[in-house]
Amino acid sequence: MSRLLVVDDEANIRLLYAEELADEGYDVVTAAGTAEAVEKLQDDAFDLAVLDIKLKNESGIELLQKLVKERHDMPVILCSAFSCYKDDFSAWLADGYVVKSGDLSELKQEIARVLAKKAQRQKAGL
Amino acid sequence: MDWECCWDKDAIALGDCPNIREGDEDLLESPRRRILEKCCDCPNFKRDLERFQASGHPLGPVFCLIHDEYRRQQIHIQSLISFLDSKSLEIRFLHELGSVLQSSVDLEEVLSVALTAITAGRGFGMNRAFLLMVDNKRDHLHGYLAIGPRNFEEAHQVWDEIAHNDMDLQTLAQSFRENKLTAERVKFHDILEQLSVPLSNTTHILVKALDGKKPLLVEDAYHHPDVDPEFARLLGVDTFLLMPLVSRNRRVGMIIADNCITHRHITEEDMHSLETFTFPVAFAIERASLYERLQEELSRVTEAHTKLKLQQELIVRMEKMALVGRITSSIAHSIRNPLMIIGGFARSMLKNTPAGDPKRNFIESIVGEARQLEGVLDEILNYSDSLYPTKDFWDINQLVETALHDSADTLRTSGYQSTFSAGSELPPAYIDFKQVSYCLRTIIQCDLNGAGRERLMDIHTRRVDDTIVIRIQDHGRYISQEELDAILVPFSSTQEMGAGLGLALCKTMLEKQGIPLYAQTVPEDGIIFTIILPIRKEEQQ
Repeated sequence: MSRLLVVDDEANIRLLYAEELADEGYDVVTAAGTAEAVEKLQDDAFDLAVLDIKLKNESGIELLQKLVKERHDMPVILCSAFSCYKDDFSAWLADGYVVKSGDLSELKQEIARVLAKKAQRQKAGL
Repeated sequence: MDWECCWDKDAIALGDCPNIREGDEDLLESPRRRILEKCCDCPNFKRDLERFQASGHPLGPVFCLIHDEYRRQQIHIQSLISFLDSKSLEIRFLHELGSVLQSSVDLEEVLSVALTAITAGRGFGMNRAFLLMVDNKRDHLHGYLAIGPRNFEEAHQVWDEIAHNDMDLQTLAQSFRENKLTAERVKFHDILEQLSVPLSNTTHILVKALDGKKPLLVEDAYHHPDVDPEFARLLGVDTFLLMPLVSRNRRVGMIIADNCITHRHITEEDMHSLETFTFPVAFAIERASLYERLQEELSRVTEAHTKLKLQQELIVRMEKMALVGRITSSIAHSIRNPLMIIGGFARSMLKNTPAGDPKRNFIESIVGEARQLEGVLDEILNYSDSLYPTKDFWDINQLVETALHDSADTLRTSGYQSTFSAGSELPPAYIDFKQVSYCLRTIIQCDLNGAGRERLMDIHTRRVDDTIVIRIQDHGRYISQEELDAILVPFSSTQEMGAGLGLALCKTMLEKQGIPLYAQTVPEDGIIFTIILPIRKEEQQ
């Protein structure tokens, strides 16, 4: 079972992700901000992280840069209410980008795609 | 002594005096006036005086002396009157000329008046005049305008015409300007073209006269030591007058005048008369030239002001747009999260609600409404993005392929097939890739009611002159032209998902980039969308 870390400052969104992604067979851990996310990353190993960009007084992009540097084996998907960050160079570090929607199919597809790609890479020994 | 003249008679009859004719009857009974006005010129009186002198009377020689002196003074007075009359005429003419020159700031008008004054019979009466102007940028004196006949026949024709019309100077100059100015330029083009002298050539007679600031009467030009024979041959006359035009010590130009047709001798008197005239002419030419430059500068400043104003308005508009963009984006973000939560949980609930549960309809409504609101939100955000087009050169075939790839699922779900005929060797188009991609995807995916021939979408790209044309024929969707036109107007239709902005937004976005979007229905065979993209930067303007 793949273990996912979901970082979003909205409690209801964290709950929705946890419910929906658990239904898809993932083990979901949520964090409300950067500090909590870093703490949980120290304690546990995760296969993938889903990050919101606009966190309360924090930036998901900064967390993304930290994860790419320190946990480069863990893919990250950015999930934001803003579509404009898709064209932002700093967002290109992420493995995937999804615009938030009540229909989580796109996010689920993206998670599946990125995990499959990671599995392929691991299989190839990269 | 019997006198031959009637000076000793108080009254005479008509016929008694050979000098008194009809109209002079009042002199018949006025001996004083008769003696003063008629007798002094009368040969009978002259003979009476001679007889009186011969009689030996001591006053005889005195009378003769007084009579001779009186005659001499009378002739002198007549000559002075004639001189005064001619000067009065000249002053009247100069006054008329001055009035016209002072009131005009139009260079062409000033030049027309000046040259007409030199050549008009009631003016200075010269046959021909050339005007040369100083070009300070090129440091040259160059032929600018000329007036006058080129041969005897033309001269007679022109002079007859002037005599027949009896026009004053201003009318004559206006007529010249309106009817003959261009023709005269053409007529003297060959000479004017060759009348070009560098101001540095101080040995040339023209530059010498200009530097000397004094008029110069050149006689025997073909043998004159200061006249280049080539210059004399160009004018074709051996006598001409050079009149420098100098205003406040600034060299303005030169007038060359001659009598090439009548060969009338140019006198010192002519030269002095013309000298009086050159100062106001030079001043008027300089003033008109300055006014012309002022007008040019003014038009430049006005243009710059207009541009500045436009830029200012653009900046204000952009600031407003940026603010609108930020507000829109912020609101959209604030709405999207709650909407996502509502829609997301409604979907979760829907999954766990059995098919027969009466609450299922309500939950489905929530899901549907949330989806529609998300669509509206996307359109608003797309509009916000469209405020800032970022243009560059892009491969259009690749853009169409990407749009088709992105739309593949939607087309497949609707049972559509698509074909793409890519134009060969297309140059890149200068567009905002993101916006044109969005428009293309919207056109391909737009949800229009109606049924056409078959569920098929044909896309072609080709080059037409300096543009690339994308033609999208949707054979599967057919509506009337009126309905289609209405869809292209924002908020006029709710047939599409969302606020009815989709195609209308595309049209607005493209138009902002200067890209036309045409939509035309084909009876029973769907709709043809045509997008014309520029391949050059300037085509955007």
